[in-house]
Amino acid sequence: MAADELTPGISRRNFLKGAGGAAAVTGLANRAVEASEAGEASVASGADGPLRGTLEIVLRINGHERPVQVEPRTTLLRALRERLDPALTGTKEVCNGGSCGACTVLLDGEVACACSVLAIDARGREITTVEGLVEKGEGLSPVQAALLEHDGVMCGFCTPGFTISLGALLDARPDAPEAAITEALAGNLCRCGTQPAVLAAARELSSGGAKSDQGGGR
Amino acid sequence: MTGSGADVDHSWPAVFERRLIGKRVPRVDGPAKLTGKAVYTQDVRLPRMAWGRLVPAPVAGGKVRVDLAPALAIEGVLGGIVLGETVRYLGQPVAALAAENSDLLEDGLAAVVVEVVEEGWALTREQSLAPDAPRVGRRGNRSGERTRGDGAAARRALAECAATIEGTWQMPIQHHLCLETHSAVVDYSGGESATVYLSTQGTYGSSFEAAEELGLKAAEVRLVCEHMGGGFGSKFDLGIEGLAACRLAKQLKRPVRVANSRRDEFLFAGNRSGSRQQIRLGANKGGHLRALVAEVERFGGIGRGSHPGLPYIYEVRESAVTSSSVHTSTDSSRAMRAPGHPQASFAMEGAVDLVAIELGLDPLLLRKRNLESEVYHRQLDRVAELIGWEQHAHRTSPASPAAGERSSGIGFAVSTWGGGGRPGARAEVRIERDGTVSVASASQDLGTGTRTHMAVVVAEALGLRVEDVSVHIGDSRLPRSVTSGGSVTSACLAPAVQDAASQARAEFLKHLGRVLDAPVGLLRLEDRRLLGPADWELPQLPAAGLDWGQACALLGSTGLSAQGEFQRELASSGVHGAQAARVEVDTGTGRVAIKEFACVQDCGLVLNRLAVESQIRGAIVQALSHGMLEERVVDGGLGLVLSADLMNYKAAVCAQVPEIHVELDQDQGRGVVGVGEPPVIPGVAAIANAIHNACGARLFETPFTPDRVLRALSAATGKDGGR
Repeated sequence: MAADELTPGISRRNFLKGAGGAAAVTGLANRAVEASEAGEASVASGADGPLRGTLEIVLRINGHERPVQVEPRTTLLRALRERLDPALTGTKEVCNGGSCGACTVLLDGEVACACSVLAIDARGREITTVEGLVEKGEGLSPVQAALLEHDGVMCGFCTPGFTISLGALLDARPDAPEAAITEALAGNLCRCGTQPAVLAAARELSSGGAKSDQGGGR
Repeated sequence: MTGSGADVDHSWPAVFERRLIGKRVPRVDGPAKLTGKAVYTQDVRLPRMAWGRLVPAPVAGGKVRVDLAPALAIEGVLGGIVLGETVRYLGQPVAALAAENSDLLEDGLAAVVVEVVEEGWALTREQSLAPDAPRVGRRGNRSGERTRGDGAAARRALAECAATIEGTWQMPIQHHLCLETHSAVVDYSGGESATVYLSTQGTYGSSFEAAEELGLKAAEVRLVCEHMGGGFGSKFDLGIEGLAACRLAKQLKRPVRVANSRRDEFLFAGNRSGSRQQIRLGANKGGHLRALVAEVERFGGIGRGSHPGLPYIYEVRESAVTSSSVHTSTDSSRAMRAPGHPQASFAMEGAVDLVAIELGLDPLLLRKRNLESEVYHRQLDRVAELIGWEQHAHRTSPASPAAGERSSGIGFAVSTWGGGGRPGARAEVRIERDGTVSVASASQDLGTGTRTHMAVVVAEALGLRVEDVSVHIGDSRLPRSVTSGGSVTSACLAPAVQDAASQARAEFLKHLGRVLDAPVGLLRLEDRRLLGPADWELPQLPAAGLDWGQACALLGSTGLSAQGEFQRELASSGVHGAQAARVEVDTGTGRVAIKEFACVQDCGLVLNRLAVESQIRGAIVQALSHGMLEERVVDGGLGLVLSADLMNYKAAVCAQVPEIHVELDQDQGRGVVGVGEPPVIPGVAAIANAIHNACGARLFETPFTPDRVLRALSAATGKDGGR
């Protein structure tokens, strides 16, 4: 789904350019006002220009309520990485256009590119970032442990996104076959070339997948 | 206490004694990277940090006047600098801006006015070489022209050959595509000292550039690169990002972060140069290469581009090669993983393959006839075995599948690289009284596993586990190290670490011998214990020895430290490799699926088998991505780069990655070499040769998209008079 279709009639692309039509501005103004009812807001809305100013919203991230100052246009990615204090920088910005998967997070258990979701639209939803995968228990999750063992981590910049995507797949389909694995990871880019090791880890984790001798292991 | 150690034995342990070196060791920074705790330059957050970015020129050539005033009028936009008036390439940074946060920064960037007086530019080879083309290169649009060899002799030799082939091989510009874009955070608010965070391949060297830019003493500038998100040759120095961050910090007297957008990366963060190689190659009946006449053009934008020269790897008796750079109004190429080599490999291996087909010879055989080194012979035989060449149906001529059929093919190519170490890297190993052990050097880990092999070497020497050793790198204040380029990091650094660890071990044992009144020669470190001889009673050393903590507690309060430096006999240089690809071509749609890769790579002493195998597999993934998908596309008419985002510049994902068999071909007794570069070289050529083997279509231009495959197929069919 394109980012532009997140809410009918509202174009994130146009909005971010500050060139949105009247419908877009009105739609967003409604959501900003709605947001302000829950918290502090100082958003100036006008029918002829983009919204300006910040508002405080509360996001539920990795099981914690976290207040954060954002503009209506601030993406969830930037809210996490740049506006939260302390920031959560495990989620990476690589393309800022929904094409690389490095900013993959879970929204109510579903994968989403945090660069393509507005922070104000993430209110009331359960946001899970890579930092949240270990918070409940100590140590690495099974996905993280398998990626480590198979060396599916090199420079590591894509790793949080892969970890989230693979974890979400295996939560939904513990016996995911090969085709489901490659489809689930089709949106995650890696430049170092960890793909063979990530696939080996995925196959090992998925009881339905074929075993492989690739990517190390002992 | 400091190690002196002139007489210390620092040789690598014998193969049978190695507990950790050469084994599969998961990387020590893996957990931090997997849990999001690893801090990259882009993750650095400082109080009052301003958010900055560069402003790319919207034109490929001309004069610009930058007006920052409309941007600076926006509340929250803090400051800006203008970088120049003359634009020599599309997207050249002409200004930089800083704001309170990234949203306001985008408002500011949108408000910057760049007035343009357009002058001539050329984005394509054809535009650059047109008779009336504007001058876009400093020394003309074609520069660095030179000829090697005797043209007349080579042409005569060619005329006498039993088989000659010709072709023009072309590769477009490829991007590094580091996932962490080039970025810097400069923590300077005035005063005498600064800390600079930089995504860099040269932690130590870049600190001096930063000091110069800030006008501070070198000793007062600390450069930090704890983790970095890929470099591949594009991050050797401070860069325009670092320069802009320094200047903005000086202007604003507060910390400034400058990070490129993804589009910026595609415009001005460097690239692998394109190439055009016109080749005529001939051989005698026995398949010995006798003559090569070639013309090589490098496309490095305003830069020179790279090419290692022809003939590449294979021996040809008589050759004459003209080479030059053809300049366009695009950013300069930079080093990229084996600069110029995949280009040369694509053309040379393709030409060699065509000669084999022309002569009806097994391409494996023809290769061996023209490669002197026995290492290549055994490696080629082994990859052939791994890929199933003997069972393959079409070895001496390509398959000719019926229209619409799917057909399988196998192709080969080889690689070489120098690598090796050189003086310059240092390391310090410390043992503290509380039992902690650390190793430090101002190196960086590009994702290659530097941190891990440092821990492996120290743990091996001291009888510890890998996790007992903490590794400190990525800080210019640590003992100096080398810039990571040319596959030299491991071969420079590991010997220095081994030297330091050996000295620390010797010093530690000497001290313990003194304290315990035991003969030093009989003490050893094993299994996290200090042990004496099994059948000896030492008054102060129990039969079971002392555990690591007890032994360290006998140190003085300042512990022990040892400095090591590069030791030539612990490194080697020069590696060979061979690769084979198996593809399936759908002759109906022109789609190529890479089914399998095999690689036999020689790489000297292996420090961490897991990381070495990953690096080789990673190189092959990059090569297949290069061959199948990657291309900078420009519109010469409109003066635009059309592929400046990840929707239009594709790179391989899991679905395109096949089984990759990797075997390490080790010569006993060699030192560390480094293997970053060589395995990225032969992949593209191996795929092209496999496609030809599958269906008779010769691909002379990357990427191997379905339309190109179909065109090549119809050309092949036409030549054969239909199949």
